[in-house]
Amino acid sequence: MSLAATYRLGTRLFWRDKAMLFASVITPVGLAVGMPLLMRHMTTGGVAAATSIFHGTLAILLSITAFMNIAVALTNRRDQLVLKRLRASELTDGQILTGQIASTATQTLAMIVVCAVAVRLAAGVPLPANPLAFLGVAAAGSAVLSLLGAAYTAAIPRAELAGVYTMPVFLVCGVSAGAMGPIPLPSWLREVLDLLPTTAVVDAVKTGDLAGPVLILTSWAMAGLVAIKLWFRWEPRRS
Amino acid sequence: MTAIQVNGLTRSHQGFEAVKGISFEVAEGEIFALLGRNGAGKTTTVEVLAGFGRADGGRVRVLGLDPHTDRAALRRRTGIMLQEAGFFPDLTVAQTVDTWRDFTAAPRPRDEALGLAGLTGRAATKVRQLSGGEKRRLDLALALLGRPEVLFLDEPTTGMDPEARSSTWDVVRGLAAQGTTILLTTHYLEEAQRLASTMAIMDEGEIVASGGMAETLAPRGGRVAFRLPAHVDPGDLPLPVTVEGGHAVCRAEDPDLASQTLLTWAAERGLRLAGLEVRTATLEDLFLDLQRSAR
Ligand SMILES: Nc1ncnc2c1ncn2[C@@H]1O[C@H](COP(=O)(O)OP(=O)(O)OP(=O)(O)O)[C@@H](O)[C@H]1O
Ligand SMILES: [Mg+2]
Repeated sequence: MSLAATYRLGTRLFWRDKAMLFASVITPVGLAVGMPLLMRHMTTGGVAAATSIFHGTLAILLSITAFMNIAVALTNRRDQLVLKRLRASELTDGQILTGQIASTATQTLAMIVVCAVAVRLAAGVPLPANPLAFLGVAAAGSAVLSLLGAAYTAAIPRAELAGVYTMPVFLVCGVSAGAMGPIPLPSWLREVLDLLPTTAVVDAVKTGDLAGPVLILTSWAMAGLVAIKLWFRWEPRRS
Repeated sequence: MTAIQVNGLTRSHQGFEAVKGISFEVAEGEIFALLGRNGAGKTTTVEVLAGFGRADGGRVRVLGLDPHTDRAALRRRTGIMLQEAGFFPDLTVAQTVDTWRDFTAAPRPRDEALGLAGLTGRAATKVRQLSGGEKRRLDLALALLGRPEVLFLDEPTTGMDPEARSSTWDVVRGLAAQGTTILLTTHYLEEAQRLASTMAIMDEGEIVASGGMAETLAPRGGRVAFRLPAHVDPGDLPLPVTVEGGHAVCRAEDPDLASQTLLTWAAERGLRLAGLEVRTATLEDLFLDLQRSAR
């Protein structure tokens, strides 16, 4: 099946690009494991502080391993006319994008699981009380952020700028989820930032309350799909 | 049966009309050459036919289907060699072909595709290490994977060495012999002459000449040029010539025959035809000729 083929291709390319692995695996995993470890040993809060910051770093994993990775990969392939070549094959546009999004989401989910186990072993952060809900939310978050990363490529003019254009997204998502430690924010801003898909995932994991976060993630997914339908570019801009 | 029908096709890029209402047809199993200089609109035409862009005006059918709206159905029956497209540089040639076989419903075996493209010895090489001509061959291998009924080749031999070029011609002829309809674009009149039975010449988005290869070229065939001997009036020559900067240029269907006539005439008068040059028409000659006849 062709969807399986594009999924396999996406996964193969993810692990093959050594330079990219540093940015999209080593860095976020390092942060998601390192920050809780620091909190555990450097602060009086101990395990509670480590747990809280680990939940926050999920936003980093989502915004880097899912969002940034797919945005960079797709803009590169768009500008190098690889997407154009893929479209010359029997694949449909939907298969090309869905396979890639599913692949990126899977790698992200795998990273999240690896980090959850690593912080349990290294910093004593307890495993999620409801593992199924945790996996479900992490999977949904990974999928939505991958989808949004694909949609976001429309805003990136050239491949060289993909990193620069995704950086603010990463910063806003990280700060808003408390991944960089507690940063005081005005309450109106807090309310806006709570609507971010990454914050929704972190909130769901922290509180165990799923209804609100699922609604937020669904809305983002719809927005992402519409944006792709309207603006996704398969070829570099020539003007 | 007509495999490709183009009727009054227009297509603009950001307000610039690259194709201005062209029409042609390609019969099933035929090789059709689209000739033209840079910017003539060849790629624009091929990309519309291959379903990459919608026709702004006119009607386009490939195997009876609209290439844009029926893209998915048509893709299974067509192969495309784009003028320009990227590869995954870290995959090897074999991995690239295997990846594309994965995308194809009934693909050729990998070795068959590599063999057709003359890449058998390069299977283990990373794409980033391939030369320009080798990449072009890999392009061809991917275009042929699905055993297409209609094949679009946009400048298929650009960057290939003479050997690769002639083996590509053999492949193209072989496919046509098996019933594949082929539309190719080229800058080389020779390539068109060797492969195609019908052709169209595009210039600035319009077709300026079209029809059977032989009939279209016949009146413009080749040319014989030589320095006009002193004291010879061009009107005395046995064949009509034009004088271009001291050179007499004779256009003839059969330039070899024309040169013999001229040499015999010269020998009888004890004249020498210095700087004699006999050649079959090039695309550039054709254009000059077309412009002349348009005037
Ligand atoms: N995406 C685009 N945006 C703007 N202009 C374009 C675009 N694609 C093509 N053009 C213009 O349209 C005209 C026709 O281009 P096209 O690529 O079809 O020519 P071509 O006959 O294939 O030329 P070549 O032999 O150089 O490949 C050119 O003048 C080109 O500048
Ligand atoms: Mg072209």
